[in-house]
Amino acid sequence: MYAKEMVKQSLPLIVFCCLGAIVAGSTLGVMIDLLREIPGLIVVVPAIIALRGNISTAFGSRLGSAYHLGVINADNLWNEELKQNIIGSLILSFFVAIIIGILAYVTSLILGVYPNPLKLISIVLIAGVISGIILNLMTIVIIYLVFKRGYDPDNITGPALATFGDIVTMLCLFGSALLVEVVL
Amino acid sequence: MIYSWKKIVKHGLPLLTITILIEIFAGQILQGKQESLLLFPVFLISIPVINSISGNIGSVLGARLASGLHVGYIRLSLKDKEMHDNLLISILIGLITYLILAIVIYFLALFGNIIEDITLIEFVAIIVLTGFLLICVVSLISVFTAFLSFKRGLDPDDMVAPVVTTVGDVMGIVFLFTIIGLIGVGI
Repeated sequence: MYAKEMVKQSLPLIVFCCLGAIVAGSTLGVMIDLLREIPGLIVVVPAIIALRGNISTAFGSRLGSAYHLGVINADNLWNEELKQNIIGSLILSFFVAIIIGILAYVTSLILGVYPNPLKLISIVLIAGVISGIILNLMTIVIIYLVFKRGYDPDNITGPALATFGDIVTMLCLFGSALLVEVVL
Repeated sequence: MIYSWKKIVKHGLPLLTITILIEIFAGQILQGKQESLLLFPVFLISIPVINSISGNIGSVLGARLASGLHVGYIRLSLKDKEMHDNLLISILIGLITYLILAIVIYFLALFGNIIEDITLIEFVAIIVLTGFLLICVVSLISVFTAFLSFKRGLDPDDMVAPVVTTVGDVMGIVFLFTIIGLIGVGI
């Protein structure tokens, strides 16, 4: 009975979360031409998905704790605590995106592939920061709705961000690769 | 004020940098196999899904173990029955999820006209076998990370998710190419 309950409770949510990953994967499938034209682009894919996942779930769970500690609530959402969290997660996205670009470039060089460093770093930076802004806004909206209904944010933000995070990140990577390919 | 952006950046940067280093390694494996992946895009599409399933299940298992350890109904022993049950159920949920999503991806690829020279049975076999290996490894890592961090007085809730998603991303890609090689569909 115990096992049955666990499967019943978690299987639907896990399958739902992974449908987000299918959309992300399909975006990757649409990017085939770009992947061919921009050497090194495929290298940053796992890293940027991980960057987004780590930073936004940490952001979400900090806001959950802030709610439990009583420093933010539905009527007092846009305050200094929230602003510090937003600034922190965006600065983190900015730095780590640059690190991803540099690491992808250097490791490719070692392995005998020669990407354009400016292109690669710009693509990761634009995709990392824009997806960060979009996901922060989404988190705030989700948190606001969760507060209004009196649910526990800790149960909602994790799966929601896992699902939307992959999709938003891959779409941003696709968009910024297209943009950089046209401009540079 | 509890939060300051400086603290958030300072605490986040070291772990993220390590994570990124490992993920770049996963990315380089993809680049090495890029030609085959572009010829068989159905596997390219599958990679985020394979990694997402193992990351989710590993994190849920870790969170359950963390709660059990904190509350005390799971003991810090490799023979703990409650832990064994959780481990087995995670592997079972993993297998069902991989099976469902392999079928979904195959038919999506069929409608998108990007599937060539591979049957449903072959594709499902490759994904489910990869998934089975991956979920076993990730679940074991989840147990060890939860137990070790708890033993050292760290909160398993902070440790398990980053560790299992990062290790899972690399192992997922390695297992996928190994299984493809073993089954031999010409990629």
